[in-house]
Amino acid sequence: MNIIKFELLKLRNKSRGWLGPILVFILIMVAFPLTVEISNKDLGQSFFVVLWIAILLVMMLATEDIFLEDFNDGSLEQFAISNISFPYIIAVKIFIYWLLIGVPISIIGSLFCLGFTNSGNLAINLFPILLITTYIFINVFSFGNALSLTKGSVLGTLVTLPLLLPLLIVLGKAVISINLNLNYLGFVALLLGVLSIIIFLIPLIISYIIRAHLE
Amino acid sequence: MYQVDRAYSYIFYISLVLYLVSIFWGLFVTPEDFVQGNSYRIIYLHVPASFISQSLYIAMAIASAIFLIWKVKLSAYLVRSIAPIGAITTFIALISGSIWGIPTWGTWWVWDARIVSTLILFIMYLGLISLHDSFSNHEKADKFLSILVLVGSVNIPIIKMSVEWWSTLHQPASITISDKPAIDLVMLYPLFGSIVGFAGIVTCLVILSSKLQILRRERNKSWIKNYV
Amino acid sequence: MHPKVKATNLSYKINEKKLFQNISFELMAGKAIHIQGDNGSGKTTLLKIICGLTNQVKGEIEKKLDKQICFLGHKNALKQYLTVEENLSLLNIINHPDLKQHLIEFGLDKSLDINLSSLSFGQQKKIALLRVFLNNSDLILLDEPCVGLDTQSQNYLCSFLNNELKLKKSILFSSHISLGINSEKLNLSDQV
Repeated sequence: MNIIKFELLKLRNKSRGWLGPILVFILIMVAFPLTVEISNKDLGQSFFVVLWIAILLVMMLATEDIFLEDFNDGSLEQFAISNISFPYIIAVKIFIYWLLIGVPISIIGSLFCLGFTNSGNLAINLFPILLITTYIFINVFSFGNALSLTKGSVLGTLVTLPLLLPLLIVLGKAVISINLNLNYLGFVALLLGVLSIIIFLIPLIISYIIRAHLE
Repeated sequence: MYQVDRAYSYIFYISLVLYLVSIFWGLFVTPEDFVQGNSYRIIYLHVPASFISQSLYIAMAIASAIFLIWKVKLSAYLVRSIAPIGAITTFIALISGSIWGIPTWGTWWVWDARIVSTLILFIMYLGLISLHDSFSNHEKADKFLSILVLVGSVNIPIIKMSVEWWSTLHQPASITISDKPAIDLVMLYPLFGSIVGFAGIVTCLVILSSKLQILRRERNKSWIKNYV
Repeated sequence: MHPKVKATNLSYKINEKKLFQNISFELMAGKAIHIQGDNGSGKTTLLKIICGLTNQVKGEIEKKLDKQICFLGHKNALKQYLTVEENLSLLNIINHPDLKQHLIEFGLDKSLDINLSSLSFGQQKKIALLRVFLNNSDLILLDEPCVGLDTQSQNYLCSFLNNELKLKKSILFSSHISLGINSEKLNLSDQV
């Protein structure tokens, strides 16, 4: 399909668009035990603290460019005029960004979890949570990006950051539940529910916002 | 505009008197609480402030929906004018909550769900104001403000339910619609009075702020020149 | 015969200031309209309104189109960091049989491997125009199409557009110079 080929071709050549965030993530996860001198026992505890913050910031960094370049050179205008449904185009864009950035970060995050906590059970159970969480983050930060598209500042992204804080609370509880083997599937179901609502609503909202920008 | 001006003075003085009476009653007449001593009296500031700050956000959400569906420009002005007042009210709620926390919990801040959600509400109010003011094209700014208000309204159920979903330090609601109130009647009346009084004062501020918005945005129209 | 585009009493205001008012026209199949006006009179805005990008306009627009609109605005919708060939495949026209002929006419058939940023402004405009040349629509909207083009390419564009008119397509374009196309004139500066 046209839009998928468009986005993949564009990102293949613009490797800093997707490789950059992944490398920044690896850098943060490698740097933190070097800078904070913790004994091996505490490493497992503090790992999750750094993991969620690192993913939050890296996703914020990664989505900075998702609409800006296409808006500035006129490609978004052409998409808006074409017969293809505009929310569909935005949903595909977000999906491809998630494939190229979210999935590798989930894999790498789970591997780091294995390395830091020496618990295979924790790492395997963390992986689907990371997949869903990265997708939710990309959606919400794309929404924030779309809001301040013409201003070029990070104002929109910063304004949507508070909306994700309740999600962080839930994620903290989910990790504890993996450790204690309690209600793990309940948390996954909750995250999936949030994701399914967001997947439908956010492209619709973003298409409305971008059309307002294009006027 | 003229009718609003006339009603405004009445509402303001009545609610000011009501609030001052409730405060006076609450501060000096009601007895000490069994557990907390005299420090509980800050309830007459904290509860109205937090209740009103959440109600203001719900009012903004309804006005945003009206603006987006029926394109009533007045709704957009209303949203923009409620935002700073909502921010101040939330700030009062947070500060009075911290002050209350010192004698009761021993700490002035704790990271439990309801307090963090209210902090998020405060940051959202500030974000709304800054986003709207960063756009020079007013029609676009109104649209984006309404969308952000509606998306952020997911925070309100989180604040209300956070006390039930997670076991927290914050006490659950003492006043519910169906059950008998857990709080003694003697303290209940001034509490209601203070909520209504605070709401009245806040309404006056909202009316003032809306008048300012309308005057600023429509200053090129002819009926403004007749009014001023 | 139904008009492809029919506009009645369009008026547009931005930030409470009127840009133009009471614009009406009918565009039939096989006809062209040339939008004229001073700078800032709203030519680009009118084209955007017809595209459907702008909704905040008073008045009525009726469109009866079988295929999608082909629009070329001020922005080229090309990626600077890709080669010409990659950009053409992004536009989905790389496999069109007529592409070679147009590239030869523009003098760009040997430049398929060159990075777009190395081309001059006029050459990039020609690549963007290829979207119009290989279009698959019945309404073509052009906003200042001849900016940056040399005379030979301008004549080529005009003969191509005249050909499209014979194929019963409709063209709406704004330009400061008059192209050699048989068109009705619509002057925005007169209607303020």
